[in-house]
Order: sequence, then C-alpha cells, then structure tokens
Amino acid sequence: KSEDKAVYPGDVIKEIKSVKGVTILGPGLKRNEAEPNTLRITRAGKLRFKPPNTYWVDHAQKRYIPKRGDLVVGIVTKKSGDTLKIDIGGSEAASLSMLAFEGATKKQKPDVQVGDVVYGKLLNAHREMEPELVCVDSYFKAGKLGPLSNDGFLVSVSMGLVSRLLDPDNPLLTTLGKKFPYEIALGMNGKVWINGRATKDILTIIRCLEAAELQDDRVIAELCRQYK
Amino acid sequence: MEEVKQLKLSKSILDMKFMKKTKERVQKEQEDAEGKAMYSNEITDEMKKSGNIVFTETSIYHCRNLIEGRLSFGGMNPEIERLMLNDFAKKMQEAEKRKETDVSDVQMAQEYSTLVNTISNKFSGRKNKNKRKFMKPADD
Repeated sequence: KSEDKAVYPGDVIKEIKSVKGVTILGPGLKRNEAEPNTLRITRAGKLRFKPPNTYWVDHAQKRYIPKRGDLVVGIVTKKSGDTLKIDIGGSEAASLSMLAFEGATKKQKPDVQVGDVVYGKLLNAHREMEPELVCVDSYFKAGKLGPLSNDGFLVSVSMGLVSRLLDPDNPLLTTLGKKFPYEIALGMNGKVWINGRATKDILTIIRCLEAAELQDDRVIAELCRQYK
Repeated sequence: MEEVKQLKLSKSILDMKFMKKTKERVQKEQEDAEGKAMYSNEITDEMKKSGNIVFTETSIYHCRNLIEGRLSFGGMNPEIERLMLNDFAKKMQEAEKRKETDVSDVQMAQEYSTLVNTISNKFSGRKNKNKRKFMKPADD
C-alpha cells in the first residue's frame, strides 16, 4: 500500500510507471491533455497504486457514475419494443435490449416485466451517451447475469460498502453463508438484491449490511472470526 | 556516394500494367503523407518523442481484484454455486495463501524469543544439567 496520498480534482500526477508503455487507469483518473504522459484527477480521495502499472482513486461518493464493465443491479422502468429502460441509479436510465439474454430470439423474448430486477453488465458508458447493459457475455451465455427473481428484496447501500464486501479478504459474506443459506447480488451502483429461505434471514442480512456500513473492516474481520 | 534523386512518376506510367505494384506503393505513400498532415495538430511531435504511454481504462473490479457480485451459499441457487466454483473459489484460495505467508511482526518476535531459549538450553553443557542443590533435612 505505497503511495496513499490524498488527491483533489484537478491535481496532476507526473511520474507514471508503465509496463511496455501501457498504464492501467481505474476510476477517478483520466489522461491529461495538456501534458503528455501525465494524469489528471477527477475525484477527491486517496490515490492508490498496484504494481506494476495500475492507478486508481479510492473515493466515497454517493452518486453512481456508470463505468464500462461494472456489474449492476437495475430496475426495469419501461418496456418499449425491443429495448428495456433500466434505472441503475445514474443520471440517465440505461438501455437493455431484449435480445441480450441467453436463448433470446426475435420470436422468443425473455419474460421480463416493468418493475423486475435484473443483474447486468455495462457494455459501454460514455459521458455523452446513454449507458447500455447486457445480460449475457461474449459467448452468449448468461452466467451470473440475467433477471433476478421477485422473491428477493432490494436495498440500497453505499458504493464504498459494496467494494469493501467484494474484497476477497473480507469474511462477512462467507461467514453469513455458514450460518444460513442465502443468495445475494451486489451491484456496483449500490443496489443489493438478497434472497433467502425465510424472511427472518433476509432481514438479518440487511441489518448486517447496515452495521457493516459504519464499522471498520478490522472490527468486522474480528467479529467474523469469533463466529467461526 | 550520392543519393539517387527520387523521380516523380507520371500518371500514365503508373497506369501501365507492369507498374501496378509501384503504383500501389506510391498511392500508399501519398495517403500516409495526407494523414500525417491532417492529424499533425492532435498527435504532436512532442507526444511522439516522449515515448507515449498508452492508458487503458478499467473498472475497480480489476484494480482491486474483487470477486463478482453474484453469490449463493448453502445451496440456495445451485447454478450460481456451480459457477462460483470457478472464480470465487480461486480468489479465496489466493487470499488464503497470501494470509498464510504473511507472519505478523508480533508473532515473529514471540516465536524468536522462545526459540532463543530452547537453543540456549541445547548448549548449556553437562555440568548444569539436572543440577540439584543440597537441601538440609528438616529438623524433625
């Protein structure tokens, strides 16, 4: 965890490490047009570096800005012809084609209604365009994407919590899995869908997420170790 | 040696059949020169000299090596659990390996201090082994 310094939008980063002339940028950074080979910060937070050549900014923001490749949980708001309008919590509703599901053809479209929840991947998300979702990977297999059943519950958490929970070092989700069976779909836009055998289990998970929001990661790890 | 001056071939010569390859080469050179002239504002000479770094954008999933957000435990969704065996299990194993190889400083200090004592007992010599002190019998 070297180079953890606080940065503000507009800062310029000069010495960039790259491998074979390629550097990978995560959220919060973009190319600086004024000077070549320098970066400009676009979000306030901590600058993080992962060797050999990855940079990103850790920030705690409340508004979700769609980014390409993110897996998000969306709610269907409109069904018009071949496309669905999905609310992912961004400034604009994303579009999802009815043909972007596994086994979908023009004659046989998937059974998705207004108000359903889907788990999709952002295919492209530019500043000026409407984001586009797909529920299928490049081999046309659904995998983990697709519509989520209406038996589950949908809650909103902060986006920082989602990244913390999805860290492989974080034991919260696996510890809950040892206590009772459940399934969960965490969207990078801060929406979480939970389904379990009993409503009590689902409410327990929601309480855990609310508590984890305010606790430090080390405290969570310590508590989970006690529950083994 | 003097360099041969490049002759600019006329159009009628290039149109001849045996000059086809040369014609293509000349056309390609012309197009490259045009392209260079058009983009000289955007791709500046400065950028070319400094050995341009190519920046690829990616999501935080790859930066932090996160797991995918769709999980199932306890057999709630067998399909998802089957898919989890591929990537989720691998990432958890990697995390376990990283935790095992990392010995904390406190642990290291404790183990080293007890190690010093055991090794010193090994070299303590025969005279001090099982040394019994003379005990005066009780006045009974």
